[in-house]
Amino acid sequence: MIMIFLLILGKKLLKMHPSKSIIFFTVMSGTGYGIIICLSFLALIAEINFNYGFKLSLILISFLFITLGLLSSTLHLGHPERAWRSFSQWRSSWLSREGLAAVLTYIPLMLFYLLWFLEMDIFKYFLYSASILSVITIYCTGQMYASLKTVPAWNNVYVTPIYLINGLSIGSLSIYCLTRFYESEVQHLYQFTLLSLALCLMLKIIYWFHIRTKSTSSINTAIGLGKDNKVSFFEGPHTGKNFLTTEMINKIKKEKANFLRLCFIILSCVLPIYMIVQEATLIIDAFILKLSFFITLVFALIGMLIERYLFFIQAKHVVSLYYGENKV
Amino acid sequence: MTSLPAKQNKKLGLVIDLDICVGCHACAVNCKEWNTSGHSSPLHDIDPYGDDPTGVWFNRIHTFEVESEINGSKTVHFPKSCLHCSDAPCVTVCPTGASYKREEDGIVLVNPETCIGCKLCSWSCPYGAREYDEEAGIMKKCTLCVDKIYNENIPESDRVPACVSTCPAGARSFGDLGDENSDIFKLVEERNGYDLMPEQDCLPTNKYLPPREKNNQFKNDALNSITNDNDFSFDTWKEIIEDASK
Repeated sequence: MIMIFLLILGKKLLKMHPSKSIIFFTVMSGTGYGIIICLSFLALIAEINFNYGFKLSLILISFLFITLGLLSSTLHLGHPERAWRSFSQWRSSWLSREGLAAVLTYIPLMLFYLLWFLEMDIFKYFLYSASILSVITIYCTGQMYASLKTVPAWNNVYVTPIYLINGLSIGSLSIYCLTRFYESEVQHLYQFTLLSLALCLMLKIIYWFHIRTKSTSSINTAIGLGKDNKVSFFEGPHTGKNFLTTEMINKIKKEKANFLRLCFIILSCVLPIYMIVQEATLIIDAFILKLSFFITLVFALIGMLIERYLFFIQAKHVVSLYYGENKV
Repeated sequence: MTSLPAKQNKKLGLVIDLDICVGCHACAVNCKEWNTSGHSSPLHDIDPYGDDPTGVWFNRIHTFEVESEINGSKTVHFPKSCLHCSDAPCVTVCPTGASYKREEDGIVLVNPETCIGCKLCSWSCPYGAREYDEEAGIMKKCTLCVDKIYNENIPESDRVPACVSTCPAGARSFGDLGDENSDIFKLVEERNGYDLMPEQDCLPTNKYLPPREKNNQFKNDALNSITNDNDFSFDTWKEIIEDASK
């Protein structure tokens, strides 16, 4: 059943329009950065001298997530080989700032990996600076969307915190699942993970309520004749599709969207919280427990991908007012 | 180039008269014709003769129905291309500086050499003026025919954007909207020209002129004076017509 579900989802993912490379990038890098941010919180209040295997897998996972995410983000570009040019316009462009912050993060990050692995105490300072830069990177990603007035569902105060808290919750969940795998205990991680997962769910629900309100842009302001008249769409410029309609005007049925929202809530919030809280009462084999935490993490990641997909597909762009929408 | 120019010497732009436009699409066709061999050439088409054709167009004509108590229902053809905004968000979001606004005349252009095709500018534009050329992998847009309006190889009278020179109805005007003494500025003043989506704060340069109030309406009184002589009042006529249309 699950396999069939994943196959169908996979097929949809390959064809769909809100760019899958962007969805993959924001979720993957967000998770990687989330691991680093969570680690720095833990380092602030406790010792984080884990055994080598645990350290190595944390290093590998966070590095791979961040790097694969960033690499996939260049896939949607028309000219990926020119991506380096995007570091130049940080004065005005959030996308440029994001790229710059992402690259800068690597400097303290690599040093932290090295020093942490060599058990040199100064690793903490590099962890803290990598963590601050990670926050800045996710903040820039969020702001890039939040600053677009053309998409009312993004142009609000919730979007950037959601990006941050999503990264943090899935990042700390990754660390938590690894502690189960290596059967080690990390002080305060339990509370931290639960808190961030709960916050993630809460913020997203507030956001969904918020985006129900319509923006001031409507067919009346778009055509500009709505003051004393009733304006309605008669026909588009052509019968076929164009760049704008495929890139920006995507529709999803309400029932389907609600189902996917439920999927996100269960996969990324309820299931992990249940597993963490109820772990002691689960009388299962140690191996099965490890496996189930691995599955929990994979499901949580799938849930995050679904959430990001909804974030894009449910965002109505004001240009749709020229293509038959009355409100956005 | 990342930011908008501090001051603008000129604000070249278009004024589109919705009262005159007949929706013939000639401006869109001539736009494609000129630009596919001009500054942004070629404007690629994908599957042009197939079942599902798409392609790069800088100008598109939408059609709306506008109804009011006084004027009744009216079909309004609505050509839309880049509005060369004074506060153009497509310029400031560009991560590479490929998108820029010229200080000398306010035209917003894309440098095809440095554009990485991230499409963020298209997301930031409320008017859908940005076009992604899939074949070229870069963004393209209306250049206000920058390669035509300054072109000294063509007669001076032809040095206007292709959409303006081709319009058979004269619904499009071109000029400096920053100059209060220009004809085009006066036209906008006289006809109450307006901005599209002013709430988006882009300060578009291009203006739209609303359809004029109808002045050839059937006036009840006028009809009554004719029909009274023949024992047929206006209301009787109206009833007959209404019965017939049932």
